[in-house]
Amino acid sequence: MPAAPTILERPQRWDAAFDPDMTDAALDRLLATAPFRDMDAEKFPKRTPLREILRNDSRIRRFRQGEIIVRQGDYGTSAFLILRGATRVVLKPHLPPALLGRQSPGKKGFFRTLAQLWNGSRPAETFSRTRLRQAAGLGARQTKNEVHVFLQDLPRVMDEHRTEQMTGGDFFGEIAALSRMARTSTIFADSDDAELLEIRWQGLRDLMKYDDALRTHVNKIYRERALSSYLNATPMFQHLTKEQVDRVAEQIEFATYGDYDWSGEYKRLAQSGSVQPEKEPVIAQEGDYPNGVVLLRAGFARISQKLGGGERTLNYIGAGQLFGLREISHNWRNKDSPVNLQFSLRAIGYTHLLIVPTRVMEEIVLPSLPKNELPEAIEIVKDELGSQPVAEKGAREKVGAEILEFLTENRLFNATASMVIDLDRCTRCDDCVRACASTHDNNPRFLRHGPTSGSLMVANACLHCADPVCMIGCPTGAIHRESFAGQVVINPDTCIGCKACFNNCPYDAIRMVEIRDETGEFMVDQEMKPIAKATKCDLCVESHGGPACERACPHGALTRINLNNLDALSKWLKP
Amino acid sequence: MKRFRRQFFLGMLALIAATMAALWLHKRFCALPDYAFLTGWILFAVMLVLTFFNARKKLPFLALGKAETWLQIHIYLGFFTVVLFLIHLNFRAPHGWFEITLAWLFALVSASGVVGLFFSRTLPRRLATRGGEAIFEKIPALRHALKTGAENLALGKEAKSPVIAEFYTRQLAPFFEGPKNFWLHTFESRRPVSALLAELDDLRRFTNEAERATLDKLAALVRQKDGLDYHRALQLTLKLWLFVHIPLTYGLLVFTVLHIVLVFGFSGGVQ
Repeated sequence: MPAAPTILERPQRWDAAFDPDMTDAALDRLLATAPFRDMDAEKFPKRTPLREILRNDSRIRRFRQGEIIVRQGDYGTSAFLILRGATRVVLKPHLPPALLGRQSPGKKGFFRTLAQLWNGSRPAETFSRTRLRQAAGLGARQTKNEVHVFLQDLPRVMDEHRTEQMTGGDFFGEIAALSRMARTSTIFADSDDAELLEIRWQGLRDLMKYDDALRTHVNKIYRERALSSYLNATPMFQHLTKEQVDRVAEQIEFATYGDYDWSGEYKRLAQSGSVQPEKEPVIAQEGDYPNGVVLLRAGFARISQKLGGGERTLNYIGAGQLFGLREISHNWRNKDSPVNLQFSLRAIGYTHLLIVPTRVMEEIVLPSLPKNELPEAIEIVKDELGSQPVAEKGAREKVGAEILEFLTENRLFNATASMVIDLDRCTRCDDCVRACASTHDNNPRFLRHGPTSGSLMVANACLHCADPVCMIGCPTGAIHRESFAGQVVINPDTCIGCKACFNNCPYDAIRMVEIRDETGEFMVDQEMKPIAKATKCDLCVESHGGPACERACPHGALTRINLNNLDALSKWLKP
Repeated sequence: MKRFRRQFFLGMLALIAATMAALWLHKRFCALPDYAFLTGWILFAVMLVLTFFNARKKLPFLALGKAETWLQIHIYLGFFTVVLFLIHLNFRAPHGWFEITLAWLFALVSASGVVGLFFSRTLPRRLATRGGEAIFEKIPALRHALKTGAENLALGKEAKSPVIAEFYTRQLAPFFEGPKNFWLHTFESRRPVSALLAELDDLRRFTNEAERATLDKLAALVRQKDGLDYHRALQLTLKLWLFVHIPLTYGLLVFTVLHIVLVFGFSGGVQ
């Protein structure tokens, strides 16, 4: 007799509220505050009423003067509405990294490098007590559930940086939250009674969906602050006049696909072995009329083609890349023989898109492009199986179909500096591991193990992702990019061991290590619990000569490579 | 890979050119009075450069260039050292127990280097082809997990087959107990695992459907254990040759220094 199934309540979107302690009184107060009091609750569907969105997707946070609310360069998933008090945004110059809890970039000096000769016998991850104290200029206040980092010398900050005050009713952080871009400014509380409503992106998305005023407001800000400069930097719009760019910007549509918190879901799917392209949200379907050119603003998408009952991956595209231009250009030039979309585009994880409608393309953009910049016309070649167009061969030819599927299934295209090992040449000598340990407090920052495809292994080392989900939610700013789009590093001095980055990383590339004092004893807190810090590969950012692992491989079997661009991998595989 | 072919081509070209130049110089200058001292010092200097490769490996945090470049230099300079050694000997056989020991040490270091190079270039490909990557230090733990799994299948609370239990105790328990067939794996022989799997297959005649399912699971564990033994054998070989090459190198360096002291002690030094 078969065993009885386990019956449980189906998981729902709001099983985990942003703030489980949100009270009805607080909700009543919020609903009586602008802009919520002006929203028409009737417009919200019964499934997601306004009150429940606020109850589950928002939380009220209080800050004291000088406490940092968001840091420039951090990735965030939420927007803020000032309810009471004031905040201040740092305009120019930006705050120095040390004031944001980050490491000052710089290479090790000669003597510090040489000191590693005799530091080799020390226990791993040794910290001195003085090093553990907060860096000068930065302090921390522990509240019930969170840590607030504050600027200690506030008058000096105000003196040396141009800032602007924001007061009750102002919104900020919405563009970074919706488009998954790094925060562009640092904002700190400017009064002791600053009270802010933090709305996570799912709630903001729903509020925008059902409230026209908020949608118009956010879209206006988006178009004003972010879109024009983005379009100006996109090659396809280089030949347009300012007026034409503005006209395009007015008519561009925004869309988000997939799950913002894809990393957790991906971990679960990967562990159960059920990552399948067919389950990914479809942005554009093969065979459909091309409604517009898709521009990826953030995230990744898979270009695929039907093959039998499934989908085969032809390529993946990331931020700044286009989809659908070839078809629209073909149709514009060959009105007698129009084609539909040749391939499908599916969101991988989270994808934020701009869609330039076909009409706008035909009227404004395509006429401005020189002939040599227009994509080639599409030639439908009937293969042996029937009328199916022959697949685009570029990416598959470069690295082979098997590796392309492997990189896509494992979300490895996110990597800007993945550790790739050629198992045909790797003698498993572990010189790379020893080199890493020698360079990093006697603790190797990676595992020489990981997913493999044929003789290619992508080791368990930080990928320095293009979309670094590990950087979401760090309370002290300890995990950060070393420079714009640079290496993702952790400042051990300001890491408080909260595990936010460790839990977020979908590739298990971050490890929590228990630290020791100079005598080799583990450090513990007042409750005798060990003090842990997050560690990961920092690409030897402080060392001269590049990553020690790569330099240490005697057989040329290991490289750090950008998988956003398959050319580098292709060259390494077939140099 | 083209990169490696290019490395090989350039290395060989440099080696041939250096050998021809050395032989020409030897022919031209071998009659010089202190010729043996000159070639001896050159040989010693080149040997020191070769040993610096190991020092480079111990100092990965210093920007001393890529280990890959160092290894290429080590390989081709190593081959060239053989030519220099023969020139230093003036192409005659060594005599006296000290000189013979020194020559033997040199030959063994060179031979172990060549063997190591052969292993480094052939065994990784075999490991990759076999698949199932395992970190060497974790192999005992993985083996233990396989042994526990097999033991539970054959002798655990759920196991009810005396045929399988008897076969496990007699044949499989020793197989899962520790690493097996080192030499056969090194020489790519699958005879033992094929024999074991054939014996497992024979048991199907005496078992019912449920027991056959257990036999299938046991066969899968046997294959995994065999793969683990294969990885251990080849990875151990890749590590062990260095335990021959490096101590012999130290021995050679000690004898070389003694040789220099003796030469200077009994010749009165270079005048």
